[in-house]
Formats: sequence, structure tokens, C-alpha cells
Amino acid sequence: MQMNEAFEEQIFGLVCYMLTSACNLVNETKSYGPLRLIDSASRLITVLSDSGISPPSLEKIQEKIEQGKLKVMEDDSQFSAFLNDLVLYTVSLIEK
Amino acid sequence: MDIWAAIKNRRSVRKFTDDSVKDEVLKSLVLEAGIWAPSGGNIQAWRFFIITDPKILNRVKLVSPGLLGTPPSIIVICEDLVYELEKGGDLGVKVLSIMDTAMAAQNIMLAAHAAGLATCPIASFHAEAVQRIMGLPAHLCPQLIISVGFPGKNPPAPRRNPNVIWFNSYADE
Repeated sequence: MQMNEAFEEQIFGLVCYMLTSACNLVNETKSYGPLRLIDSASRLITVLSDSGISPPSLEKIQEKIEQGKLKVMEDDSQFSAFLNDLVLYTVSLIEK
Repeated sequence: MDIWAAIKNRRSVRKFTDDSVKDEVLKSLVLEAGIWAPSGGNIQAWRFFIITDPKILNRVKLVSPGLLGTPPSIIVICEDLVYELEKGGDLGVKVLSIMDTAMAAQNIMLAAHAAGLATCPIASFHAEAVQRIMGLPAHLCPQLIISVGFPGKNPPAPRRNPNVIWFNSYADE
């Protein structure tokens, strides 16, 4: 399989984001861990979508992530509830 | 803009429009606001790097997980470690310069808000990696990045805890 330049660049960007996050998270705010993970998931969905792989289930998950991820800056309990809802929502997609 | 309005209405914005900010405006944020902040011992060891080149900005973004959205410009506030050590000693390097950067950053962000711009302070980046990408010498240490652009979406004000003040002495209630 041959990767095109844009795809390669996007994947490289995502890998950089994940690696730098891993390094920084050792000493960062605890709730930034889950934030970086769901943001990585969202970025991965974008990369796939830009490459023509965009199943509706992933688009819906990304929409949910983008709607709620910045709750981390507002309220810890709201952010936790959002993460829980996100998982349950994902499960509902599995069950369909 | 009224100072109270600026303080209370400024938000950390993570969604920007595609519009770029003029170089003169970015320069004035530093020269008319940033460097007017107080600094420990008036040392002013801060150094401000304005990045508007998309290529460099994207590279910085690769190693800055906290840099969300696509701001058209960033200001990287660095500390001159050699100058700070010479003038302020260990306390200067370890404590004062960080406070100085924070105070300069707040001035910049309030001035930007008053000018209709949006900003976000970012500490989640790999300092050494940013240093290398920007070609900075070892004694210029990046301490804070401020993204600067036009607001795409202003977030709501996060909750504030007012129970953080005492007069004259601390007493358990």
C-alpha cells in the first residue's frame, strides 16, 4: 500500500501529538490524560475521514468528542460524566 | 475597554477564524503591553518570539499538545537563562522569571482581548523540542506559548471559586 504525502503528513502529526503528550503528561494536570486520548481519537478519525474512510459511527463519535472535550477546562465532574456518556454512546453503536 | 470588562470577559479561546493578525498588531501586543508588566528586580529576562510562518507554526504545533485549534500566530515567551542567572541568581531562574513570563502574558492577553483578538496561554509543549524547531540557542528557554487570532468561538466562563480570600489572618470556619 502506497501512502500519499498528505496522509503521511497527517499520520506523522498525530504520532508527534501522541508522543509529546505521553512525555508531557508525566508532569501535567491529571485530567489532561483522558483529554489527550480522546483528542487523539478525534484526530485519528479526521485523518481517516480525509482519506475517504468515514463510517457514520466514527463521525458520530467524533462529533460527541468535539462537543464535550473542553469540559475538562470547566468542571471535573462534568468532564467525567461526559467521558462515561461517550463510552456508553460508543457501546450503543456496537449494539446496533 | 474598561479594565474590569477586559479581565472578566477574556477567555482562553481554542477555535480561531482563518484571518491573520497584522504584524504591527502582534508587535504592539509585546511592546505596548507585554514588556510593561512588572518583573522581579526589573530584570526583564523575557524574550518574545512571534511566529506567523505557517511552516514553523505547524512544526511547533507538532510538539505542543496544548496548542489546540489553528491560530494564525503564536507568541513564544522565552527566558534568557544566562542573563537571568547573572542578574537574578538562582531565585531569578527558578522562580522570578516564571512569574515575569506569567505577568507579561496576562498583559498581552488582556491587550489582545481589548483589540478584539482571542488568545490562549499554553504550557503543554515540549520546551526542548520547541527550542530546536525554532533554532533557539540553549540559553533561551521557552516558558509559555500564547496563541493569537480572531475568535472562532468564545467558550463560556468557567466557574470561579470565591472562597479563596482572607483578611489579616487565616481562620478555619
